Amino acid sequence: MNVFFTMIVPLIFILSFLYAKRKNVKIYDSFTSGVKNAFPLVLSIYPYLAAVSMLSVLFSESGLQDGLGTLLSPALRFLGIPEEIFPLLFVKPLSGSGATAVLSDILAKYGTDSYIARCACVAYGSSETIFYISAVYFASVKRKRLSLAAAIAVFSFLCSSVLACFLCTVL
Amino acid sequence: MNQLFFFVFLLSSILTLATAPETFLPALLSAANKSATVCVAILASYSVWMGLIQLWEDSGLASAFSKRLRPLATKLFKTENSEALTAVCMNLSVNLLGISGAATPYGIKAATLLDKTENAEYSSAMLFVLNATSLQLIPTSIIAIRTSLGSSAPTDIILPTLIATVFSTAIGAVLVRLFIPPKTAKSAQKIPFLKKIRGAGTQ
Repeated sequence: MNVFFTMIVPLIFILSFLYAKRKNVKIYDSFTSGVKNAFPLVLSIYPYLAAVSMLSVLFSESGLQDGLGTLLSPALRFLGIPEEIFPLLFVKPLSGSGATAVLSDILAKYGTDSYIARCACVAYGSSETIFYISAVYFASVKRKRLSLAAAIAVFSFLCSSVLACFLCTVL
Repeated sequence: MNQLFFFVFLLSSILTLATAPETFLPALLSAANKSATVCVAILASYSVWMGLIQLWEDSGLASAFSKRLRPLATKLFKTENSEALTAVCMNLSVNLLGISGAATPYGIKAATLLDKTENAEYSSAMLFVLNATSLQLIPTSIIAIRTSLGSSAPTDIILPTLIATVFSTAIGAVLVRLFIPPKTAKSAQKIPFLKKIRGAGTQ
């Protein structure tokens, strides 16, 4: 299984290069002109990324995140989510690297094959870092409704986390 | 977003001022530092993938590949703009493969193109939610973490994760449809047209 995953990317490159060659594309010119676009793209994302990550650090440093956590935890407990994975649920939408760190902690603490660890993995995998994605998309589109869309994404993440914890008891 | 940023920032700042004012600036600097590091990392990742993406574009692979997904995307995004739909299809399919380095550039391209179409408010929200709720078929990064920590069955979370992520994506899509409904431009045009025909018939 793992061998297969590691082979996907090189295979994609090889097949793409062969296909482009057959279509008489000037491969070096085409490839470099693509790379050239990477710089302006990252530059356009940077201000939004910086602002959002400052906000999210301040949010957790100020204790607002923990406060919100204790406020929400009765509701989460009611929905059948084990208390041990609450920190993951609060970090996941805000920070990708933070969520990976919390996930590793949970796996190390409770054992990789425990119910809690599996819940955490499934909840982690069911969503992206919503605020990172929104920073990236806000950079290119100025639409009022995107805030509402971000709220929808967070709500969907919560729903799928509830489902994740349920699925782990069954599957 | 402006409101949200202002209120959360202000509230957090006041709380920090009250509890530990000395952590305020270090926290902001560490966040800025982290985002700068992230930018270097994504610049590296985009350089690799955007080179490849350009090859897909120039060889016609992108448009040939996305033709298959086109009908679904047309329905979902309520637009006929072919260039935007190609970017959308590539964004979705690369997401499915789990290559986020290539998915984001396509996502941004799709967002910019969708912004110019008639249902921009709806279609950019849909694109954002589909990307934010994750579409990955195989959660490779989690499997890697589990393997490295010595799990006996690192892949047994694939099925529940797939179900959970399909569920969250579906909920997201339905909610966008409900709360940010697309303008039914065509039906609006149709009705006066029908009235005209009916009016002509009765005369």
